[in-house]
Amino acid sequence: MMAATTSTTAKLVLLLVLFAGILASFALYEPRFLQPSLASTVLQFASMLALVALGQTLIVLAGGAGIDLSVGGMVSLSAILTMMAMSAGVPEAVFPLVPVVIGALLGAVNGVLVTKIRILPLIATLGTLFVFGGLAMALTGGASLSGVPQWLVPFGRGNLGGVPWHVLVLVVPAYLAVAGMLTFTPWGRWFYAMGHNERAARLVGIDVDRIRFLAYVLSGALSGLAALVSLAWFGSGRPNIGQNLELESLAAVLLGGVAIFGGAGGVLGVLVAVLMIVTLKTGLQFINVSAVWQVGIVGALLLLVLLVDLIPIRRRS
Amino acid sequence: MLAKLAQRIGGRELTLLAAVVAAAVVFASLSPVFLHPNNVYAIIRNSTELMLIGLGLTFVLAIGGIDVSVGMILGIAAIAIGNLLLAGVDPWLAALAGPLVGLALGAFSGTVIVLGRIPAIVATIGLLGVYRTTIFALLGGSWLSGLPSSLSEIFAARIAGVIPTSYIVIVVAYAAAFVVLRRTPFGLHLLAVGNAEERARLSGVAVRKVRIAAYMVSGALCGIAATFYIANYRNVEMTVGSTVALDAIAAVVLGGTSILGGKASLLGTALGVLLIRMLQNGFTIVGLPSLWQPVVTGVLLLLALTLERAAVAGLFRRLGGLVAARRTA
Repeated sequence: MMAATTSTTAKLVLLLVLFAGILASFALYEPRFLQPSLASTVLQFASMLALVALGQTLIVLAGGAGIDLSVGGMVSLSAILTMMAMSAGVPEAVFPLVPVVIGALLGAVNGVLVTKIRILPLIATLGTLFVFGGLAMALTGGASLSGVPQWLVPFGRGNLGGVPWHVLVLVVPAYLAVAGMLTFTPWGRWFYAMGHNERAARLVGIDVDRIRFLAYVLSGALSGLAALVSLAWFGSGRPNIGQNLELESLAAVLLGGVAIFGGAGGVLGVLVAVLMIVTLKTGLQFINVSAVWQVGIVGALLLLVLLVDLIPIRRRS
Repeated sequence: MLAKLAQRIGGRELTLLAAVVAAAVVFASLSPVFLHPNNVYAIIRNSTELMLIGLGLTFVLAIGGIDVSVGMILGIAAIAIGNLLLAGVDPWLAALAGPLVGLALGAFSGTVIVLGRIPAIVATIGLLGVYRTTIFALLGGSWLSGLPSSLSEIFAARIAGVIPTSYIVIVVAYAAAFVVLRRTPFGLHLLAVGNAEERARLSGVAVRKVRIAAYMVSGALCGIAATFYIANYRNVEMTVGSTVALDAIAAVVLGGTSILGGKASLLGTALGVLLIRMLQNGFTIVGLPSLWQPVVTGVLLLLALTLERAAVAGLFRRLGGLVAARRTA
């Protein structure tokens, strides 16, 4: 086993300090940044990443070198297939369910590849990232598909007291549900147990494969929810909407204090990390830094948080 | 006779060779264009960069690592070469800059992964983002184009009508890699680290140095590939290298190099590259839009891994059956 790294609480404090630092530097550079609408903007943009990162959290927590690189592909393909299902005559009334079901099915593909065929998660989901993302592009020729029902659009753009509807209706309940599951149910204990020591978990009779399969299905369903948010927000299905989500969700999960080898961490840190990443991106946009810098900065953040992890290990040994 | 041959070059490689021939026969029967010398040249030329990047990734996978940022290393090295050419530097010197830049980036990646104790997949995803932004920043939002043809004259000329001169370098690189892997202590250490890192460490292998070196080999080969990229296309666009990692990983895995490390097949990698580029070319010729390429490659990768697992499982079942039979006897 690797030596224990910085404790979860210490990481959360560190994260909040970093978050405050980011806010402060943007405010100093451009005081107009700290306007009341900032929170609303950040929440609007954070919704998709928050949902995807929640699924990624479960998969990394469950250990076994778990990682889901296909989240972006699942978001794009769920959005596209939902629009195609609509034009194929699926009734409008069930629209919100369609991307979730499709996402769960795509997640089940990953689950089968990882738990039944036993392909390493990193290579299985790298393959499905290109298959799913590629299908979304190939099926549409790269063009957006319009035709989202009008009644759904207020859900994607409207807000209640500054908090977007999709955050209230999807993100908050999803985080509460997963936090509750992890803290209060046996399932949660199993997630941590198998992430911490898979062999021991198997020996005490935890059905490791079933739980891991479920984690991939959940990650798919949550990607489907993110696709739903994008459909309601933009009013159309975009074949590249999930781009870079694998990088951003991994950055959020690891910044949020989830141990890369599984078994430690929680969803609160991940939510804070999501908000921080989106604030950083919003701020960069606000001070007119080209969007092409965002992917590099998020990448650097991902590396830095893992390098910071080294410091306490060194001190102990 | 066939069994002996299979033993000599390996069953996996023969299967791949059969797949290459079968694909060629199918596409040739579907389209008369497929076997035209110009198209054969196009397939072989389009394989140039992937041959070298695949070779480098074979080293990385052999130690149990992975690198999804190889396409970006190619891109950064290509920009360096392009700028040197534009500045009027001697083409041979400019060509040398490619492997040097690649070596430096490979050393950086390797150091971050190994000394940072970060899983290679996570580290190289982060580096992919960092390198991609570097490419955007270096290109400043436009293409690098109108490069002089000096490198093309050296490396894109044809031998026997269908083979680019760059393949002289590729053959030398594969021969050198073979010698290094099979005949030097470094090669032995590389496979030992991939097989059982802890045991290698206990037997005195400098595990960290070996692992970093694998990424350096890969980086340098990406840099040589960048030289040929410039020779072939004479421009560098913003999206340079974005599909290279999938193609290269798929080729190496198809070739029989284990994703878990400890096993490397150079001939397999070369055949894997040829098969992937041939399928991409063939599907395009029979009318499948090129947007489908990542789908085809991704399915091929997952299929290869699935069949491999099925074959291994079958072998174990057969062994288990043998043991059971002996016990009852």
